[in-house]
Amino acid sequence: MAEELVLDTAIRDWVLVPLSVVMVLIGVLRYFVSKLMRSPPSSSPSPDPKTVKEGQVVIRARSLRTSSQFIPAKAFKARKLYYTNGESGLLHVPKEDAQKAQAAMFSDPNMAMDMMKKNLSMIVPQTLTFAWVNFFFSGFVAAKIPFPLTQRFRGMLQNGIDLSTVDVSYVSSRSWYFLNLFGLRGLFSLILGEENATDDAQKMMQMGGGMGFNPAMSLGAEKDSLDIIQHDWALPKMEHHAEEVLRKLLKK
Amino acid sequence: MAATTAISTATAAAEEARLLRLEEQAEHGGGGAWEYLSLARRLRARRPAPVLRLGLSLLNDASARSRLASEQWTLYEQVAVAAMDCQRVDVAKDCIGVLSKQFPGSTRVGRLEALLFEAKGDWAEAERAYALILENNPFDQIAHKRKIAIAKAQGDMSVAVDYLNKYLELFMADHDAWRELAEIYVSLQMYKQAAFCYEELILAQPTIPLYHLAYAEVLYTLGGLENLQTAKKYYASTIQLTGGKNTRALFGVCLCSAAISQLTKGRNKEEDSSELQSLAAEALLKDYKQRSPSKEALIAGMLKNMKLS
Repeated sequence: MAEELVLDTAIRDWVLVPLSVVMVLIGVLRYFVSKLMRSPPSSSPSPDPKTVKEGQVVIRARSLRTSSQFIPAKAFKARKLYYTNGESGLLHVPKEDAQKAQAAMFSDPNMAMDMMKKNLSMIVPQTLTFAWVNFFFSGFVAAKIPFPLTQRFRGMLQNGIDLSTVDVSYVSSRSWYFLNLFGLRGLFSLILGEENATDDAQKMMQMGGGMGFNPAMSLGAEKDSLDIIQHDWALPKMEHHAEEVLRKLLKK
Repeated sequence: MAATTAISTATAAAEEARLLRLEEQAEHGGGGAWEYLSLARRLRARRPAPVLRLGLSLLNDASARSRLASEQWTLYEQVAVAAMDCQRVDVAKDCIGVLSKQFPGSTRVGRLEALLFEAKGDWAEAERAYALILENNPFDQIAHKRKIAIAKAQGDMSVAVDYLNKYLELFMADHDAWRELAEIYVSLQMYKQAAFCYEELILAQPTIPLYHLAYAEVLYTLGGLENLQTAKKYYASTIQLTGGKNTRALFGVCLCSAAISQLTKGRNKEEDSSELQSLAAEALLKDYKQRSPSKEALIAGMLKNMKLS
């Protein structure tokens, strides 16, 4: 093992501590800025009537599909027709609509605006701090972790230092920045309250999930599965079950 | 699915017991008023008198109110609704006044104001207030439902049915609305429509025996051989779902089979083979013997008339 490197205490005082403090402050600042920029919640959820209705239709059709055996055949047939009958059925999706739906989602200015605001509050400070760290503190070792690590951690801990001889347990200043960036989530949830944590990973998830739902597609899927189910009335069997239940009850 | 519903009903029962315990404790000056009010709000329990009393005493106590911080506004809302339930319109008015000063232009306060008009019986004004809310947000389910309630309170069932149908066109997966509509249809003696609503309810929640029972009753009332046979099946499924504990379903099976045999005059072989009605009659007799022995003779006579025992 290579001999110990001696780290100047000035590095601790002028790099390690300030960097962490600045990261925390930026996180807090970002939280308040994003709170300011967030559009008031009363104006944002103004759902399109068609989407609401389609969602409800899907729920109702699904319950018809899953518990069709509980209603008489006549009632089932009437409902099936109501949902799937050609052009007039509730589950019918006009062809051009299906294609339009995807496009509409992207062209909705409100949604795009919201997303941009979120992104902006995330990316701008990150870029600035990264530039700042790069400019002032690039290329030297800032700290040492008290346990040895394998070579694979070199990329994570010694970003910005291209030396293969330095022991992996030394942390470069740029890596310290990254560790702070991703590691301060727990601290933020302590400072800003549980739900207010500026959780980048979750934001990303939400963005991805929000785009996935497509009512037109689920309408079509529901129609197809309704088309193929066979109606099998369970009630005649219920009579026999009821007989058994009563027999058991009488025996007691 | 049955297991999860069983668990949720068990926890709901436990919570309810806790609510009552807290109420007792708070009423006797044992503290815990705020816990009680929070729990009542969460369970949506409708206990206006204690809520009004405890909530008002919290609100009138300046230090307790400041301790609640921003929670006090929810308390104002809760107390306002409870006050309207108790016909204390003056209290409700004060609470709503405070809220509208704090949150000018809020829809939630607007709903409360409309509710106050309703409590006073000022239907036209209330309806106008709800219409305003709906103009801003056509998907305000509460406002829709209140409008239906206003029509119902005025005894104007056809308008209520109209509103309900319009509401269900938008929110067709709302089974509470379906149940309301079914009950209104039954009260208007529009049994075919009611049957449709009950079918919808059975589809949405097939494990709730009450819907099966109500559907069977509507079918029995409609009459006709086919409907009677179907009704009997649904009475049977109610028996199965309740484990034979539902007296109404037991009676239903007996009545249905009596009506069927009257219609077919004993020609129907398939019906005779089933033992269900005699079993149901037996279960009824046993039940009456246990719980109300004085009426047993009556039941026995009635069942004999139906040629079931």
